[in-house]
Amino acid sequence: MGILEIKDATLKFGGVTALDHVSYGVQEGEIFSLIGPNGAGKTSMLNCISGLYKPSSGSIYFKGEDITRYKPHKRASRGIARAFQNIELFPQLSVLDNLMLGRHVRMKTGLLAGGIYWGKTQREEIEHRKKVEQVIDFLEIEDIRNTPVGTLSYGLQKRVETGRALALEPEILLLDEPMAGMNSEEKEDMARYIIDIHEEMNTTIILIEHDMGVVMDLSDHIAVLDFGKLIGYGTPEEIQNNSKVIEAYLGEENAV
Amino acid sequence: MRNPFVMDCGEFHVNYKQDLAIWKITRVRMRVFILLAVFAVFPMFASDYIIGLATLCGIAAIGAIGLNILTGFTGQISIGVGAFLGVGGYTSAILTAKLGLSFWIAMPTAGIVTAIVGGLFGLPSLRLKGLYLAIATLAAQVIILFVISRWDALTGGTAGMVLSRPELGSFVFYSERSYYYLMFVVLVITAIFTLNLFRSRVGRAFIAVRDRDVAAEVMGIDLFKYKVLAFIVSSFFVGIAGALLGHYTMVVSPELYSITVSIEYLAIILVGGLGSVFGSIYGAVFITLLPVVLRSGVELMSGVFPDLSAVLIGMKEVVFGLVIILFLIYEPQGLAKIWKNIKDYFKLWPFSY
Repeated sequence: MGILEIKDATLKFGGVTALDHVSYGVQEGEIFSLIGPNGAGKTSMLNCISGLYKPSSGSIYFKGEDITRYKPHKRASRGIARAFQNIELFPQLSVLDNLMLGRHVRMKTGLLAGGIYWGKTQREEIEHRKKVEQVIDFLEIEDIRNTPVGTLSYGLQKRVETGRALALEPEILLLDEPMAGMNSEEKEDMARYIIDIHEEMNTTIILIEHDMGVVMDLSDHIAVLDFGKLIGYGTPEEIQNNSKVIEAYLGEENAV
Repeated sequence: MRNPFVMDCGEFHVNYKQDLAIWKITRVRMRVFILLAVFAVFPMFASDYIIGLATLCGIAAIGAIGLNILTGFTGQISIGVGAFLGVGGYTSAILTAKLGLSFWIAMPTAGIVTAIVGGLFGLPSLRLKGLYLAIATLAAQVIILFVISRWDALTGGTAGMVLSRPELGSFVFYSERSYYYLMFVVLVITAIFTLNLFRSRVGRAFIAVRDRDVAAEVMGIDLFKYKVLAFIVSSFFVGIAGALLGHYTMVVSPELYSITVSIEYLAIILVGGLGSVFGSIYGAVFITLLPVVLRSGVELMSGVFPDLSAVLIGMKEVVFGLVIILFLIYEPQGLAKIWKNIKDYFKLWPFSY
């Protein structure tokens, strides 16, 4: 049994079926990619995993625990972290504070202790600051740690957002198009970070990406969605030779 | 000679504790201590009138810090502050005048009761955002005032209640000077508590809820809990301010807590700076002193143009509105930002960069 199991998940918005009886499993420690044409339901799938949407039917198991009805913050405390497709950072806060927010579920300080800020609170802040500094070091964003995130460039914001998710020390990391809108050099950097995260921290990663080169190079397994239906699942080689997938991307052979 | 304005030069932080401090630079710490000392000593030399004004400014600042926690830091507009001040004032009045409790128990209790009431009216905040929430808090304002003015047996109805000044042993805080010090201690504690709050976990979560609630939720912040918590903390300080104000003016009555007061407090944090503790204090001083300065200005001019005062005396509201509009247009982040700009300018002065 994998770290994450999606069983028969269906998501409906009124008459639109965004996900149609999708089932698959993600193995612990692998890079798993979700691909598919625009509007196929990839982001909806991630939203179901991180809890922003609740599937209309079906269930989601994380490490054997049924998390289908859990609220997003509860899933985060279980170790599911996410970076968004459209950057969702806290623009007025510095990079450091954004990353410290990533550690929210790992910290304990309450309201009163925070206001008094003495002894234990201070020690906790320092201890978690050290962890955050490791992430900063890892992503090579030392020089911008005190800069408000809103003033940073797009590529850096994407990197900070990945960092914020990493700061949570996730068991499973959801990356929604981490390379969208980047030039090939930035893409290469990002791909290297993803490989590093995977190898050094042994984090399970679920990746949505449109760049097929990246997806085929990085992934252990790939799931292909089209109009909410799972039309292919397997290793990169299997997916490349899957006639249904080719059809979804290129259209039917005799139609061309 | 070392440039006296270049502050950051030669200051190095060698551990995280130094980097996490509120005031990171020795020079800034000195400035804060000197300021504190000035405000601690100045009543010795000032007239009762000036000290009284300072006390009112300080009490407004405590309430404004409370409101800023909710509106400036957590991004939830509240137009119920006036009523929450009233809850604080009335709770303290009832506890001291009717139950004969000491002020030192009544004031914290007033804070706690207001916090509970605020928390209750904060419950819709999960579903409501922005202007819709503002209207919900307007409902709080109306409902609370209605209860206060109709529950004659408990609150004395529209006639209000009379309070006494707090006592400590045989000492009564009757003079302006003694009450100023009482306010001063509470204000300093409030300010430091709030500053600390926003460099630790819960405060950061508040700001996260303001900036991007979806992201905050996915990062593990329970939106409902933190939104209601913001209402609770905010109302606690507003309640404390209400109790202090009640015992200072020694009277509470419904018309003292009308919606005008709510708007005035919103003006304070707008002019002072949303999401800034010191901004709340600057704003409180500014808005409290504005009518005073205007009045003395009009009095001065009436010596020259006797007919003018009749016209200008009604101009208070106009000027009040004008000030808010000007701030919204030219410096939406308020006095705190203006002060920061001045400091930033002198950081590198006389070089441009």
